[in-house]
Parts: sequence; C-alpha cells; structure tokens
Amino acid sequence: MKIPSLIATVTSVMLASSAFAADEPIRIGVPVGLSGANSVVAPSVVQSAELAVEEINAAGGVLGRPLELVIADDASGAAGAQKAFDSLVYQKEVDVLISMETSAARNAGLPVVSRSKVPYIYTSFYEGRSCNPYLFVDAWVPEQQVPPIVDYLNAEGAKTYFLIGSDYSFGRGMLEFARSYVESTGGAVVGEEYLPMDGSDWTAIISKLKASGAEAMITSTAGGAPNVALTKQLRGAGVDLPYANLAVDEGTAKNMGADATGILISASYVTGIDSAENKAFLDAMAAKFGDELRTPNDLSVPQYEAIYLYKAAVEKAGSTDTKAVVDVLDDVSFTGPRGTIQMSKQHHAPLTMYLGQVQEDGSVKVVETFKDVDPGEQCPKL
Amino acid sequence: MTLLLDIVTTAAILFIVSAGLLAIFGVLEIVNFAHGAWLTVGAYCAVVTGGLGLSPWLALPLAFVAGAVLGGVTERLIVRPLYSRPQDAILATWGLGIIIGQLITLGFGRDVQFTENLLSGTIHILGTDYSLYRLFALAAAVAIGLGFALLLEGTRLGLSARAVIMNQSLARALGLDTTRIRFVTFMIGTGLTALAGVLLTPLTSVDPTMGVAWLIGSFMLVMVAGSSFGALAVACLVFGGAQVLVSTFISPILGGITVAVLSALVLRISSKGFARV
Repeated sequence: MKIPSLIATVTSVMLASSAFAADEPIRIGVPVGLSGANSVVAPSVVQSAELAVEEINAAGGVLGRPLELVIADDASGAAGAQKAFDSLVYQKEVDVLISMETSAARNAGLPVVSRSKVPYIYTSFYEGRSCNPYLFVDAWVPEQQVPPIVDYLNAEGAKTYFLIGSDYSFGRGMLEFARSYVESTGGAVVGEEYLPMDGSDWTAIISKLKASGAEAMITSTAGGAPNVALTKQLRGAGVDLPYANLAVDEGTAKNMGADATGILISASYVTGIDSAENKAFLDAMAAKFGDELRTPNDLSVPQYEAIYLYKAAVEKAGSTDTKAVVDVLDDVSFTGPRGTIQMSKQHHAPLTMYLGQVQEDGSVKVVETFKDVDPGEQCPKL
Repeated sequence: MTLLLDIVTTAAILFIVSAGLLAIFGVLEIVNFAHGAWLTVGAYCAVVTGGLGLSPWLALPLAFVAGAVLGGVTERLIVRPLYSRPQDAILATWGLGIIIGQLITLGFGRDVQFTENLLSGTIHILGTDYSLYRLFALAAAVAIGLGFALLLEGTRLGLSARAVIMNQSLARALGLDTTRIRFVTFMIGTGLTALAGVLLTPLTSVDPTMGVAWLIGSFMLVMVAGSSFGALAVACLVFGGAQVLVSTFISPILGGITVAVLSALVLRISSKGFARV
C-alpha cells in the first residue's frame, strides 16, 4: 500500500505546484546588516518587512501573485553587500530590492543594480546625493533632518553652536550640512570636533566645548556605543546646554535614563505619531510579534512603507517589468505610519519631520512638527 | 586648570584599566589578551546589579569576585599548561576573549546596556566645575596603586611574587609554591580588571565589544612599564598627558593614537621602556 500512497502524494504535490505556476510569487530581495554595525537595528527592519508582506498576501497579493521575502545578510559593509546583491539578483532572481543598509553597503551594491537593471528602494536615512536611475529613497537626507533642529534652537535664542561627531562619512556629512545651515541662518559655529569611530575618550573635546562658550551643541556620532559614551561623559562633566543628537533613536534614548533627558531628536518617525495608520501599524506589529517585537523606528517603518509603494507601482504598471515599474515609482503614493509618502522629488520623498525632546521618564515628546519638508536638490539629473 | 585635571584623571583611568594586566604580566610573564573580555565581564556585573535593583556600588565587590573566580578557572584550565609557551598563551587568551564576548552576546544580546551612574554631577575645584566621577576615578587609581604597593611590600604573597618576578627557577628551588603564587596572582589580576570594568561604566557604553577599545592601550602601557606599578603610573601620566595635549591642541583623532605611537617610540629607543623608573 505504500507505493500507491507515495504516488498519490507526488501527484498532489505536482498538482499543487502547477496550480502555483500561474501565480508565481513576486520576490523581494532584502539585503540587510544582520551582522556587523547594523545588527542592532536589522531585526526590526526584517520584522516590519514581514508584516507588510503578510498583510499584502492576506489581501490577495499583488496582481494576484503572492509576495515573497528573500533576506540576505550584507554584514553591514561593502564586501558583504556585493555578495548579497549578487546572490539575490542572479541566483534568487528577485524582482526588486528593498532594504535599509549602511552607505558603504549601498554604494557597493549599486553597480550590481545598474548591471542587472533591478529596481532598488533604499529605506535608510543617509547623507544624500546617491543617484541612479534604478534607485529610489523613501527616508530622510540632511536637508530634511537638520533644519528643524537648527530652526528650533535659533528660536530658543542660540547663536553659537558646537558640533561633535564620529569621524566617518555620515558623521562628517551631517555636520558639514549643519555648519552651512547654521551659518546661512545667521548663527556661528564656534567649534567642530571629531573622534575616530571606535574612540571612547571624549575628555579633551568636552573641555573644549566648555571653554568655547557655545550656546547649543549638535552631535552626530556613530550609533550605539560612541553615542552613549559621549552622552555619559557630557553629563558627567555637567554640560547642560541645549543638546541636539542627530544619531540617537527613540529606543536608545529611552534606555539611557536620566542622561538623555532634554536631548532633541529629529526624525520622520516616532512611535507617538497620532494617526489611525500608525495605531493600526503598531497594533499589528504587537499582535504579530508579541514578546519578540523590536520597537518600530525611523529605519524600520520606511521599509514597511517601501513594500507598499512597490506594490502600488507594480499595480499601476500592470507588471513587474523593471522599466514599467521604475517609470511609475515616483507617481505612486502610500499613506502609512509616517503619513502620505511619495518619492516624487528626484527619486527622494518630501517627509513630515518630527522634532522630539526626551522627557524625564524616557518618553519622547513631539515639540514641533514640520510638514512635508523638501529633500532639496538631490539628483537634478534624474 | 581644566587641562591639568583632564591629564591627571585621564592618566588615572588608564592606570585603573591596565593595572590588572600588569599584575598578570609582571608575575606570570603572560600577556592576557582576554583582558578586554574581563573588563566587559565587570561592566556586565554592573548591569546585573542594576537589574536586581541593588546599589550600583555593590557591583564593585561582585565584579571583583566574579572576575577572580572566572580567572581562577581560566588559569587552571587554559593558562597553566602554557607558561612555557607565552606566544601560544597570547593566542589562547585572545581566543578566550572572543568566546567570552560571544557568550555575553548570547546572554544579554548585542545591544548597548545601561547602568546606573556611581556618582553624577560636578564639583567646584581649582576654579572650575569638574566631573565628580573623574575625581573619584583619580582617588580609585591611587587606592589601587597603594593597595598593590602594600600587597607587594608588606605581605608574604608579595614577597613570594617578587621572588618569582626576579628569578622563577631559583624561587622554585628555594621551595616556594610557584604554582599557587601564579594562580593567586592571576585571580587578583582578573578580579581587578573586572573591577575596572565597573569603574568604566559611567564613562562608556556597555556592550559585548566594549573591552576591545581599551585592550590595545593597556597592552602598550604594560609593555612600556614592564613589571613595575611605579613605572605604569609614570607611563600613564606621560602618555595620558600627551594624549590630552594632542587632543586639545592638535586633533582628537591624532590624540586617539598617541599612546600607541609613543609606546612604540619608547620601546624602539629603550627596550626596557620605563621599567627602570
């Protein structure tokens, strides 16, 4: 009796797979830093991507086809990204790449994108001006993040600024923009200091800050350890100037306790956004992941929205053909936790920015909202 | 004035961080490359103490005991067979450091952990407001230095340890239990290093790789200092001072490599470093 039942099983499997052939899944490649510097945030990005795919598939997929995630570790760097992009594009034959990555990983992956002509939605905030016909970005650039902070500090009466950062492209890029923006609004930068990315001793810089007489400071360190060390040492030295931190996320600020009180952060997403979409999103995340939930943040929410933006583009184009999708990706919009997002400005998106201040109990209070901040001239040739 | 305070407190922190490494290198002639891991273990003792809702000060004795016990196990199982092969010991302790880092990651996750500050706020001293905690670190460094001086000069163990430092085979021939002396010294060294890890928590973030940043600096200082705590204090003052001066007047990026560059230069000129001090 065993042989006939085996044949029956094989037949049913073949039937099942032939039934699926008509609606072969649309594959979404997600190269992301599961190891290395991004490993702290990557799980939250994967979770929000999983939720988007689950929701879309439950509602009937895209053009009648289900979505399928293919996740690859890019090791948060260039070498890993090259391998991840190659394997996703040439072996897994994904239809689109949607991912939050380091700038190094993105730059290493772009040549693969150009060669293979696969649409690529980048969902991490970054230093700006990365331009490629296949690349779209739904997260912020310095032109969107820094002005809210400086405008707020100016209004509070600050005229002299001290800038502190980690010595790498994002840290320097953000502070260079901050310097030019401060100077263009009539303020002065009285000091700008950097420490290597793995540096942990900020003593000399803090003494310079105290001697400079600055009325406000803006910091842009590498996330995680250097940021925490700097904040602890600043507080230990009794620095209580208005303090804007370009690199701290809500979760880290929450955990830092008393040391974080008063820090200003500027983001396109905070969990406290008061909208029906955000509430529904947070509830769905909590229901799906329970105890395993990683707090949604400014890097994971754009990933969620980007998958919906891709869905809208494929539906509008009527196919997953790269040229057709790329042609309409800047025309479609999606209203998600951050509001209505459309990558309409030279492949970048105008975004509503939230200026938050860390309260004594660790929560982040939105002190000011800046509607639809323009990303500026990112890619004039596109 | 701030500059002077920056220099002495930076030197104090360097001294606290390298003292445990020096104790082990001085007596055992083994470079414990798991030094960074013990700093991390100590810092996580502070995390555990905080998690249990205890006073952050209790982390100090807890870390010393945890560090010493782990050190004892390590000495017995890993380091003891390698005394005659110091190069292999470097490799073994380096590997051990990686394993400890991974175990901490498994237990606590990769994320940055947060601890309660031992002391916060500033104090008015020498005409400036200065971090109270850094001044406390200075006092802690002096206490550790004096403690070692007492231990070496005033106790039987210290006498035996000095005998082992001077001539190991002769010490053994005279009937000293060198195995036990090494065992106890290793435990004191690792216990002290874990204690230093707690003392670092108000200054740095606590994460599984936090020790690595301090390892190279301590290693360089110990190479220059040889086996003498006096020499280590001098090395910390000179190199820590240079680091602060370079950071203040030239660039903090160059300041970060000052200790390594100066150590290499000093060893090039005099292979004994500051050990004659």
